[in-house]
Parts: sequence; C-alpha cells; structure tokens
Amino acid sequence: MAQGRSPGSFQGVGLGLRRAHLDEVAAREDHGVPFWETCPENLIGDGGRHHRLASAILDRDPVLTHGLAISLGGFDPWDGDYLRELDRFLVRAGTPWHSEHLCFTGVDGSCLHELLPLPFTHEAARHTIARARDLQARLPVPLLLENITYYAHLGEPEMDEAAFIAEVLEGADVGWLLDVNNVYVNALNFGFDPKAWLTRMPLDRVAQIHIAGHKKFGSITVDTHGADVIDPVIELMQWTLARLGRPAPVLLERDNHIPDFGDLLAERARIQAAYDAALAPAKTEAAPAEVVRV
Amino acid sequence: MSESRTFRLQRAMASLILDDEPEDIGAPAERLGLPAGDPQAFRDQPEAMDLYRELARLSLTEPLETTFPVLKALLEGAEVWEDCAQAFLSARVVRSTHYRDIAPSFLGWLVDTGWGQDRWPFLAELAHAELLEVLVARFPEADLRQDLHDEPGPGDVVWLDPGTQVVAYAHAVHRATEAAPVPEARPTHLLAFRDEEGEARVLELTAATATLLVQARTRPLAESAAALGLSDPAPALALLRDLRRQGAVLGFRAPH
Ligand SMILES: [Fe+2]
Repeated sequence: MAQGRSPGSFQGVGLGLRRAHLDEVAAREDHGVPFWETCPENLIGDGGRHHRLASAILDRDPVLTHGLAISLGGFDPWDGDYLRELDRFLVRAGTPWHSEHLCFTGVDGSCLHELLPLPFTHEAARHTIARARDLQARLPVPLLLENITYYAHLGEPEMDEAAFIAEVLEGADVGWLLDVNNVYVNALNFGFDPKAWLTRMPLDRVAQIHIAGHKKFGSITVDTHGADVIDPVIELMQWTLARLGRPAPVLLERDNHIPDFGDLLAERARIQAAYDAALAPAKTEAAPAEVVRV
Repeated sequence: MSESRTFRLQRAMASLILDDEPEDIGAPAERLGLPAGDPQAFRDQPEAMDLYRELARLSLTEPLETTFPVLKALLEGAEVWEDCAQAFLSARVVRSTHYRDIAPSFLGWLVDTGWGQDRWPFLAELAHAELLEVLVARFPEADLRQDLHDEPGPGDVVWLDPGTQVVAYAHAVHRATEAAPVPEARPTHLLAFRDEEGEARVLELTAATATLLVQARTRPLAESAAALGLSDPAPALALLRDLRRQGAVLGFRAPH
C-alpha cells in the first residue's frame, strides 16, 4: 500500500498509466517513472486482468489521481455511491491530492463524457465555487482544479478565461492543476500571449502541471493528447517552473496514438531533462536560450 | 437555481451535441429563453460549435463502434447506423460517469425501445452477444471462498465464477460476423467465462447442459440431472470438472 505519501515526494515528470502498457509496467520496477497518474472512474467498480495489473502497480508505485466525469461546474447532484468509492480509492492510492477539470460533463443526469467549457460569467463562477467547496468537503485529500482547452465561449462572456479561472480558484480556495498545453492551445485559438496570461494568474496555487501534445483541425487547434510535445510547450513548462522556483510535479499526458512503452519512456526522459534544466539554479545563468530566467 | 443562465447555457450545449442538427445553431439557446447575446454567441462560433458536436458525439459513439462491430456492419449495410446512433444520443440514456458503461447503456436502450427490431428481431440478442465477452472479461473478482471443493459429488451444488454467464438466444448470434451479420434463427445456449489468463471465452452448450448448469446452482447435481432425464450423470460430472479447470466453475459444495 502506498498510503500517506507527502506532496513533496512528488517531483519530476510522471506518466499516465495506460492499459496498453500495464503488462510492461507491472513486470519492471526499474521503469524510472517517478509517479503515475490514474483516473479513478476507469478503475472503480472494474474487474479482470487489466484491473488487477493496474491495482498492483498503484499499490506499488506513487500515484496521483485525476477525475474525468464528475461535472464540477454542472448541476447534477453528486453520485453518493461513487463519492464513497472515490474516498476509499484515494486513501488506498495514497495520493496527496485529487484533481478534477474546471468544466461540466453532464446535463440533466445525462453524461456527455466530454470536457465542456463553462460560461465565463460571475454567475457561473459563483456556482462553480460553491460546487468546488462542496466537493472539497467530501474528499479525503485537497482538491485541485485543472484549466481545460476550450474552443468556444459558452454564451456571451462577462470576463476572459484568466479572470474566470482565477476567480474560481481563489473563491473555492483550491489548488491548481496547471495544464500548460491547454494554455498554449487556448492562446493559439484565441490569440493571446500565454506568458502574459500566466503572469496574471495565482501561480502560488499550482500544485501540479500537465503537459501534452496537440493537433490542428481546420482553423482550430485541438488538445488531442495524441502527439509528441512540441518545443514551445516544453519551453512554457520551463518558464512556469522557473517562475514557481519549486519542483512541482509534471505529468505527461498521452491518451491517443499511444506509442510503445519504450518510446514513451524516451519522451518522458526528454521532458525530464528540460524539467531539470529549468530548476537547476547554477544552470539558470548559463542556460541555453530556451530556458528562461526568472 | 435550476433555471439559472448557466444551467440553460449548459442545456443548450447538450442539445447541440445530442439532438438532431438544428438549422440555426442558436436555436437551442433561443428556445431556452436566454438573453439575445447568448444565442448570438452560438451563431458567431459555428466552426467551434461543430467541433464540439463532433468531438462529444465521437466520445459517446466510439465505444459502440468498438463493442458492436457486427451490429454496426449490419446497420451500415442498411444505411441506418447513423439513425440508430442519433436515436440513442437523443434518448440521453448514458447516465453513468464510467466510460465503460456507455456500451451497456446502448444495449439497455435497444432492449427498452425495441429500436430496429421490427426489421431485425435478433438485434438486441446480437448486441448482447457482442457485449458478453467484454462484460465477462472485466467482471469484478469474487472474494475467495473457503467452502468449495474441486471434485463434484452427486449431492453438491455448482458454484459458478460470478463473471460466468449462461445465456440463451433464439438466434445463433455468436456466429454472426461483419461480413455475414444476419444470424441463423435457432435456439442457442452459450457459456461465457473468464479463463485462468483472464481472457473471456465462449462455449456453445446443448440445451440440456445449459439447463443443468443453471439448475445445479441451487439443486443437488444428481437431482438436477435426474430432473432432466439424464440417466447417467457421469458425462455431466466430467464436463463440470473440466469447466472448473478452465475457470468457469469456481467449485462445488453441499447445499445449505
Ligand atoms: Fe490535462
């Protein structure tokens, strides 16, 4: 059992635990991945061979948990049975926090299984703050909220995305799972400067970072988690880490076109090297151009 | 609170994703009585709204395509797969936050509504058979039982692995393929179970064996065999031993 790992023991670049790699991960303890991220909805109530392998890995290795479908900003009541199981799962996993997306995923009891954007309005912020506070009160560990990619404004906005996210994080008094790829993708789609955007944000709330690949469809860039991470996103991660000045754990997300485990480990090592470079104090001065100084 | 602007905007988005494509992309928001700037915001972002519709519908239909390839091939052959998917999405029956429950909710919808079954009376059976192996493979494990033995005695009842399913169909749906998706109409009995490797396996049973397996869960083996008119229970016992070795049967025990 991995009970009670302290937040500080999560550092470096971790990976999402994927079905395709379970055999290999279970078989080799020397995989070098400092921690895994897993989705409780996919494991709770499941059974069979893959479930057994995943459970064994999560009992052996450090793990962070990341929910997909709780519909934080929605209006459907929480599923009490699921929350009870989630409580047990989080305690057993020993995760120092649990993250959910700042979005809605269901309406009128029907689950859409898609991360849908909230209106950037004061009313939506108030509602989401109340939901986040309520959810936090029901969880055994601190709640983090993640900024999503959005492709459209839902209704006429009263503020921009940065103001909305900051208002929710502050109002709910929760931590931030900062997805730098989502910031980058939103910046491309809505034409803003990602660093200027981040400068406006409560970075002291960042407990974890996500990084991923994306792809362009028509005129819109989509957060596919299906490609290698591009250099500007790695650079944005480094810029953020340098600003934080502390080793917040980074999670490399890969959900589509999942490569062989060996290739994914190589991609992780590439991002780990950038992570180390961004946080090495001696190297900051002599850093190559892509490592930005604080 | 349920009539708040935020809620109505979310409903408009759900409608845009799940319902028939509206001619006016702002119509769902307008119908919900939102202030004029909101339907206008939908109209001003047509490409992004189309993308949301496409992505979210894909999330919900992808598990159907992977779980029900034969059913999909049949309906595609008749050019009604899209209609079927649309009817399923409009019905809003995906209530579970577990992604793996999307395919079972489709089967439940098919059974409840009878969709397409005037034309294809075997449709629900076909979907059930396609889902069967998936459900069996990931059925939650049972707690270990101490009161079971390996050798079946005539006075014992059979204890199946909880993932094991004995099913009866009116059509040989397990033989249908994407190339030949219409099954033969004949009574079919299947045993689906998880083997030692954790892989799902399906065996075809005779009607007598299927009945024996079901009856002997609550009634002693010899009695169940006699009720079926099996004068010699030896072949049935041999089969049960074999099913225990393969993992379909957990063991045997005296009835309470
Ligand atoms: Fe993310």
